[in-house]
Amino acid sequence: MLKAFVGFVAGVLATVVGMYFAMPHLMFNEMQSPFGFEETIARIQHNIVGNPELKAKGWALSGLRDPARAVAAEGGNVLPVKMVEVCSTRYSKPILKDDTVRYLSILMPCKVSVYKKNDGKVYIATMNAGLMGKFFGPTVGEIMSQVAEDQKLFVVMDPSKPAPPMILPTAAPAAGGGGAGAAGGC
Amino acid sequence: MRKDLTSYALVFFGLIATAQAADPPGTPSAAVVMAGRTAASSTADHSKFKELDRDFKSGPEVTRACLQCHTEAARQVMRTKHWTWEFLNPGTGQRLGKKNVINNFCTAVPSNYEFCTACHVGYGWKDANFDFSSEQNVDCLVCHDTTGTYRKLPGFAGHPVYQDTEFPPKSGKIVKAVDLKKVAQHVGKSSRKTCGSCHFFGGGGDGVKHGDLDSSLTQPGRHLDVHMAKDGLNFSCGTCHLTSGHDVPGSRYAPTAMPKGRIIRGQKETGNPASCESCHGVEPHAMQRLNTHARKIACQTCHIPEYARGGIPTKTLWDWSTAGRLDKEGKPFKVKDSTGREAYDSKKGDFRWETHVIPEYIWFNGTVNYTLRETRLDPTQVVKINSFEGSPMDGRSKIWPIKVFRGKQPYDVGHNQLVVFHTWGKDDAALWTNFNWERAIEWGMREIGAQYSGKFAFVATEMSWPITHMVAPKEDALGCAQCHAPATGVGRLDQVPGVYIPGRSANRALDTFGWGLSALALLGVLVHGGLRILTARKREGDTA
Repeated sequence: MLKAFVGFVAGVLATVVGMYFAMPHLMFNEMQSPFGFEETIARIQHNIVGNPELKAKGWALSGLRDPARAVAAEGGNVLPVKMVEVCSTRYSKPILKDDTVRYLSILMPCKVSVYKKNDGKVYIATMNAGLMGKFFGPTVGEIMSQVAEDQKLFVVMDPSKPAPPMILPTAAPAAGGGGAGAAGGC
Repeated sequence: MRKDLTSYALVFFGLIATAQAADPPGTPSAAVVMAGRTAASSTADHSKFKELDRDFKSGPEVTRACLQCHTEAARQVMRTKHWTWEFLNPGTGQRLGKKNVINNFCTAVPSNYEFCTACHVGYGWKDANFDFSSEQNVDCLVCHDTTGTYRKLPGFAGHPVYQDTEFPPKSGKIVKAVDLKKVAQHVGKSSRKTCGSCHFFGGGGDGVKHGDLDSSLTQPGRHLDVHMAKDGLNFSCGTCHLTSGHDVPGSRYAPTAMPKGRIIRGQKETGNPASCESCHGVEPHAMQRLNTHARKIACQTCHIPEYARGGIPTKTLWDWSTAGRLDKEGKPFKVKDSTGREAYDSKKGDFRWETHVIPEYIWFNGTVNYTLRETRLDPTQVVKINSFEGSPMDGRSKIWPIKVFRGKQPYDVGHNQLVVFHTWGKDDAALWTNFNWERAIEWGMREIGAQYSGKFAFVATEMSWPITHMVAPKEDALGCAQCHAPATGVGRLDQVPGVYIPGRSANRALDTFGWGLSALALLGVLVHGGLRILTARKREGDTA
């Protein structure tokens, strides 16, 4: 009996330790882009605005945030990083209407981060919306699982398509490298 | 005499400035530098000179007026690479310079003189018969203009436009005729803008060639270059490229790979002042560990973590082999990339652009060997237009950051040599006019009097450029982890051979063995010490 109990506790501990180390990698997805920095951003933007399926679900670009700009303004350097901000009221509205999960507005708008690393390569990061949604009940879980499916379409890198032009913000970025030019979204 | 005093003042204040380069803006040292600059301003107002109070019709007329006072200036300029476009490398014996080298950007000057010589410090170099001995052909204004209105366009053989001109042709954009009187009356010291009017635009456009030189350095922020920052030390190019008798030090044909150290005012010195060490010395860090690194690693390797950081992309690839394609209507066309830059041009082929480029790193001892037109090449291999020599064992090399520019360009299949081709001209043989490679190459090779087999193909080429500008603030220099033990598994110096780098060169089995030995040694010490203590106590007990 004692052996079984010790084994159970050891198993639980091992699981907790394993989750502690694995969770940071599970919460976010990172993939390498086969294209350059600007072209990767442009392809993501056009995946969003040019896909009828996503358009029908209300997805629209809501900004292009440049946190590196703020660092440069203070005299510093970081490798280029930009976040394509995108939102759909179809998904945001039910969450924003529900007081019990309204704090999840902190995750809005949905972001796709594009950045360069010290190996000179360009990477794309997204939040693992499907997994995160599971922690917040069935309503949010259902919404986030749909968002996760749509996110896969955001980051399709199809080399058979020519490089599209980057969609630049329509207004000057706000202080702090904020996004601008929200033509739609949340 | 006045000029000498000014030069000494510049040296003096330049040394103060560079010695304090690590200080943030606004410190007393920076303030001293700025005050020094003001004190060293000119004592002459050129707008009051009667020699310059006239309506000049051409550049050479202005030069004749300049030379009435500055009697030696033209002869000084004529001894420099800026004039001759030629350099005899004393180390390799190779005759280099723009006039002789074939690069993998616009490739070669011969047969394209009128176009390329927009960046010559002279007037009228339109063919091989240019008179290099004529003093009035020296262009004073291109370096000494302070109005920002003096502009030399490609296709005018080094002259500015004397009447309103549509440029580029058929673009609808008008370049105003230069007001030579105004420019001549407002001459001054060279500046980032005047030097940059050519050096920022090398290779045919802003930032194209060097990557660490582009127009973002005209008014750079501190993050882009701590020395040239407009709100900081505000160095001009001449602060480091300390010029004497119009001879500007600093060469990409024979770079200084391992500078000796500080250059002191008043001391007889033949070293290159355009080096980090000439101001900062060879042991600039407070931490000795970093100084030992500096014996084998160029300052630029850590302090220029990326180039093309000013928002202007640099070209990283130029494939001439695709040039000449026409659209369905038989007309040349262009394709733009995601940022609106040209990714293809019928005149020039395919391009690739990039910002924030991570340099490549090599051992470099200052010797550069060129593949010249007469050099035999192996078309099955990538041809190195210039080879940077160096080794961890020769005692003369440091690890340097470089930009490697890759491309494809034509070569003579019969002779296995690079070819000169005629890109621009008012004739019908130029590539950019008729898109006919055969005619363009025949014309170019005839221009230089070289043999041509009549058959050409394209060969892959590489050209290397040392990265020396865009020095980041010290807090943005590379950290230990970017070379040693990178968490990502990728280190900056992974491709640099012949050196042991803890972390990069780690072997898990060897590490385990080493740590095991260390642990055993520690255990041995503890056990041995413990036993000694125990036996000592026992002896004391027995004695008592």
